[in-house]
Amino acid sequence: MQRRDRGIAQSLGLPLTKRVKESRVLLVGAGGIGCEVLKNLVCSGFGSLPQYYGGEIASEISDMRRPEIVVVDMDTIDLSNLNRQFLFRKQHIKKYKALVAKETASQFNPSVNIDAQSGNIFDDKYDVAFFEGFDLVFNALDNLAARRHVNKMCLAADVPLIESGTTGFNGQVQAIKKGVTECYDCNPKPAQKSFPICTIRSTPSQPIHCIVWAKSYLFPELFGTSEEDSADVTVTEVDNVEEVAKLRIEAEALKTIRGLMGKSEFAQAVFDKVFRDDIERLRGMEEMWLSRRKPEVLCFEQFAPSMDKSEDVVERGRALAMKDQAIWSLAENLAVFSSAVDALSNRTLASPGTPLEFDKDDKDTLDFVASAANLRSHVFGIPLNSEWEIKQMAGNIIPAIATSNALTASLSVLEAFKIMRGASFEQKGVSKLTISHVAPTHNYMVTNGKEGFMLGGSKMVFLNSRSTERMITTQNLVPPQPDCAVCSPVYAKLRIPSNSSATLQDLVTLLQEKLGYEDFSIQADVGIIYDPDLEDNLEKGMIPAGYIKAGNGFLTVVDEGDEGRVDLVLSTSFTPNTTEADPESGLQLMPEEISLPSKHKSVAESNGQAMTTTEATGDASKVAAHFNAKRKRDAEEEVVGAKKRAKADEEVMVVEDDGAILLDD
Amino acid sequence: MATAPQDVPPPLKDIPTAKEKKYDRQLRLWGASGQVALEETHILLVNSGPGVTGVETLKNLVLPGVGHFTILDSAVVSEADLGVNFFLEDASLGKFRAAETVRLLMELNPGVEGHAITEPLETFITQDNVFAPYSLILAAAPIDPTILAQIQSQARTLQIPTFYFHCVGYFSCFSVLLPPAFPIVDTHPDPTATTDLRLLAPWPALMQFTKEKTGGLEEGKLNAQDKAHIPWVCLLLHYLEQWKEQHDGKLPASYAEKTEFRKLVRSGDPHEENWDEACAAVLKSLNPPTPSSSVREILEAPEARDINTTTPAFWLIANAVQHFYTEHKQLPLPGAVPDMKAQSADYIKLQNIYKSKAREDAAEVLAHVRKLEQSIDRSPDLAVEDKEVENFCKGAAHIHLVRGRPFQIAQAGEAIMFGDRAKAMAMELTMPESLIGLYIAFLAWDTFVATHSSPAHEAGGQALKVPGSGEDWEADTEKVTGIAHTVVDNLIKEAGTLIEDPEYAELKQKVSEFVQELVRAGGGELHNIASLTGGLVAQEVIKAVTRQYVPVDNWCGFDGVGSRTGVLRL
Repeated sequence: MQRRDRGIAQSLGLPLTKRVKESRVLLVGAGGIGCEVLKNLVCSGFGSLPQYYGGEIASEISDMRRPEIVVVDMDTIDLSNLNRQFLFRKQHIKKYKALVAKETASQFNPSVNIDAQSGNIFDDKYDVAFFEGFDLVFNALDNLAARRHVNKMCLAADVPLIESGTTGFNGQVQAIKKGVTECYDCNPKPAQKSFPICTIRSTPSQPIHCIVWAKSYLFPELFGTSEEDSADVTVTEVDNVEEVAKLRIEAEALKTIRGLMGKSEFAQAVFDKVFRDDIERLRGMEEMWLSRRKPEVLCFEQFAPSMDKSEDVVERGRALAMKDQAIWSLAENLAVFSSAVDALSNRTLASPGTPLEFDKDDKDTLDFVASAANLRSHVFGIPLNSEWEIKQMAGNIIPAIATSNALTASLSVLEAFKIMRGASFEQKGVSKLTISHVAPTHNYMVTNGKEGFMLGGSKMVFLNSRSTERMITTQNLVPPQPDCAVCSPVYAKLRIPSNSSATLQDLVTLLQEKLGYEDFSIQADVGIIYDPDLEDNLEKGMIPAGYIKAGNGFLTVVDEGDEGRVDLVLSTSFTPNTTEADPESGLQLMPEEISLPSKHKSVAESNGQAMTTTEATGDASKVAAHFNAKRKRDAEEEVVGAKKRAKADEEVMVVEDDGAILLDD
Repeated sequence: MATAPQDVPPPLKDIPTAKEKKYDRQLRLWGASGQVALEETHILLVNSGPGVTGVETLKNLVLPGVGHFTILDSAVVSEADLGVNFFLEDASLGKFRAAETVRLLMELNPGVEGHAITEPLETFITQDNVFAPYSLILAAAPIDPTILAQIQSQARTLQIPTFYFHCVGYFSCFSVLLPPAFPIVDTHPDPTATTDLRLLAPWPALMQFTKEKTGGLEEGKLNAQDKAHIPWVCLLLHYLEQWKEQHDGKLPASYAEKTEFRKLVRSGDPHEENWDEACAAVLKSLNPPTPSSSVREILEAPEARDINTTTPAFWLIANAVQHFYTEHKQLPLPGAVPDMKAQSADYIKLQNIYKSKAREDAAEVLAHVRKLEQSIDRSPDLAVEDKEVENFCKGAAHIHLVRGRPFQIAQAGEAIMFGDRAKAMAMELTMPESLIGLYIAFLAWDTFVATHSSPAHEAGGQALKVPGSGEDWEADTEKVTGIAHTVVDNLIKEAGTLIEDPEYAELKQKVSEFVQELVRAGGGELHNIASLTGGLVAQEVIKAVTRQYVPVDNWCGFDGVGSRTGVLRL
């Protein structure tokens, strides 16, 4: 053992230290939390094995299983990242986060194995097989969609996931393992806030309505690709059908004004269209203003006395736009509006065909949205805001600080140690803890007579560093919600040669013969493709019809019979050529044996077999004492040769539906 | 020999907007005033061991833009350092650890200045006024206890906030020394807790507005639109007047009365949204504007009473607010109005009514502050700023005062005494969730260091022996356990209480288990625990230097096995 990692070995104990070094882990996201997680992983020796053994075993292990830290992030570095994403410096702005993170972290320990990929985690190449190559996955993401996606991929690949997130002073860490804990989707997440289209386009009453109007309607209509329905705005039941139709005509008229772009009267034309003509039309709708204040018409000309040449307005606006904490007056907003329209027009004309997108960190687009939103607020008698405040609302900015990221990332890695330690318990055959060793604060599971801590005593951890008394608190991990649509199904694989002519009928036959399905339906990414009353697609080829695609495709098989077995989710993938499995279609289910418990039974089983202690008192040190006895001085032992890596998915404690716990031999 | 501040290129001059942009996400939490305070701070890290908790703390302060930092460390970089300290590189081997770490930390933020002092701690500390340049001190364990005592004593004299922290294996903790009077105005209370609308003590302008908005309501003369847009504040005030007429001028006070009052409000309209809002607000809005006892305690504190020419601004304002309170039986009005259903124009009017009352109240307090300044002949240079008075008045109901206390230092041959905290800490011993067992284990760990290390002047400050670092791990465990159990017994005795079996046996067992874990780690840090502790300490440092949010008072422990923190006041 090198002197470099003696300290780690002393604290973790030798078996866990070895396991950490042998591990292959995936880090999704190299932002605030990601940078910190990467530092923790590198400093704790994750994925650093071959170097410590002279690279001898490296050749025995395929690339997909090599001890390594794989970092995936598609973003580039922005100035506003530098107050916390400490692997990045000023000279790195606009470079890929993943690549720079690797470069900086490698300086600490040049021998650590980091594979940096500047890709989108939704890409086809990050398929189930890719995820299966890891012992553990860390989520360090900033958006719901990607979190849910990685959650599903980890469930399909049966790899433990450590999910984390921060907002300001708060943070949260949660370990997720198929069949053992709740998954990310077991609890519904609040949907993104969306406003009725009439509130945004006709009857705003809050600053945010005007901001959404400027950002999601006016800006794209003028400088971007016009989109009928942005995620922020939807036609809802409360919307007036006639009004919605009129709004469409209004938007069309705006498009014709786009043709004036580059001419000196462009800003005035836009202004008079949206703040004069459109408002006059609205004022005419008397019934709309029975219980509301009528909007006030603005006219570009009315500001004419305060400005002679349009050049000056643009200049003045540019200067004003620097004062982003002040609340601009009406005339000042007009000046900023003019200068922003000028700047954005020049950009559009310079590269026609490249639509602009609103970006809170793109000053021209922010100036435009802030001034247009304020002008509209004035029209509707809504208080005006500073650009700085508007930026927060328009950009969905979440406050972020270095300390919260450091704390949350450290907790993620701490939970990783627990999960891996839980696994090594199994490995060492010490899973049969007597009840006296159990600290009641820990989730203690009894599954089919086998006892153990849920994921090695891992917990749901909450951070609130603004608090004075309770900065880091925990809750027990909870078993999966039996009716969760994402994690309650059984996950398996469907493989198909890329040249296969298999039809949907072939798949239906396969499911009937191998798994005894009778009444059932199949759902692909495109929707339901088969059910007892839908046989139109049976003759279609799986590949030509797009039911099976390269990459991250899923097919869900729902048992519609009386017995009602749990759903089966098949992750689909191509194999190079026809296999012996089924020479006709080449369709192949993996694994060979798939057990599908009935929905009802599966609930009863999980209630009866997985018993968790819920007592909230007790002490954690007993656990420590127990580990202590086991790990005592392990660190002093010498490593005798490198044991060939066993398949990680056999080492991890897995509670299968049939109750079998797989142990390492 | 103290090395001069590092010879580094001058920091890049960021243009203001670029700086604002870089700090945008944190400015949204602590604002420009917090940022200025951070940039005026000079942190000293006293680091004598191989641990990186202090360096990780600095990382979290350099990133958000602390003004200056200095690392005091005479050690030379070894191979072991390279394996644990992210802010060292292979080329650092054999160079001063302080200088190399400073250089690499400074790469994180060109706007921050770092300095290294490589003079041995025990000679450094003998110089006069050596801590005067620093605004905050971080001291990493292990450290020679006599030196730690000297640091604490000087820090107390100079009123410099000081943090002392440990990080061993899965466990860590930090103690905080704050000045004896550490007031915080900007405590960032929960926004829902701050609404103070004075519905039980309305002033004429508010009543006038209410009459305008509710006139004709009872007679049914209001049109549907106007009725549906009466702000709920006005509705409650309107019905309170009715209630008073029916109840000999008394206001609804008890829960039963408030429930009864809510029925009265509801009788006005069964469906309208503004009536719904009014009914929902009855219980939380109809409270007399009396300040909490802790706020009254601050306003009546000796520092606020006995003012002189050098009294800090906070206490002068506190004196004036106390004067205001005596006169009006209520605190100055904060002035904020929550969102509610109303016509935009009415809402703005209502906001202005509250704002102007708040301004009037603040002006009255300010006038009294000026009178006080005159009466004590205070230098105009020390004049309290208007803005400060305004902020105080806005947050008056939520001001907080920490009475800083020195932390306990384990010295060889000296019994640990808990003094006035003995009773409270003995109580903690019996609480299952408390981390006092961890506190005592760390105290015993320090006592072991104190009794097993040669005095600094003999050993050159390098001979700190931590438990578990040698060959005989079991013997060390036994010793530290023995020390810890003595601390427990002495504490129980000092508190004059008795803890019986099985509780007594259990708590001793708990302490033993913490000790075992600490000794087993042999003084080694787990990187992520050091990093976590660096996050906790940095967050508290930011609270202390920005004087925003309420800081930990005065010990916090982290148990990595249970993934949780615990706070004690010692």
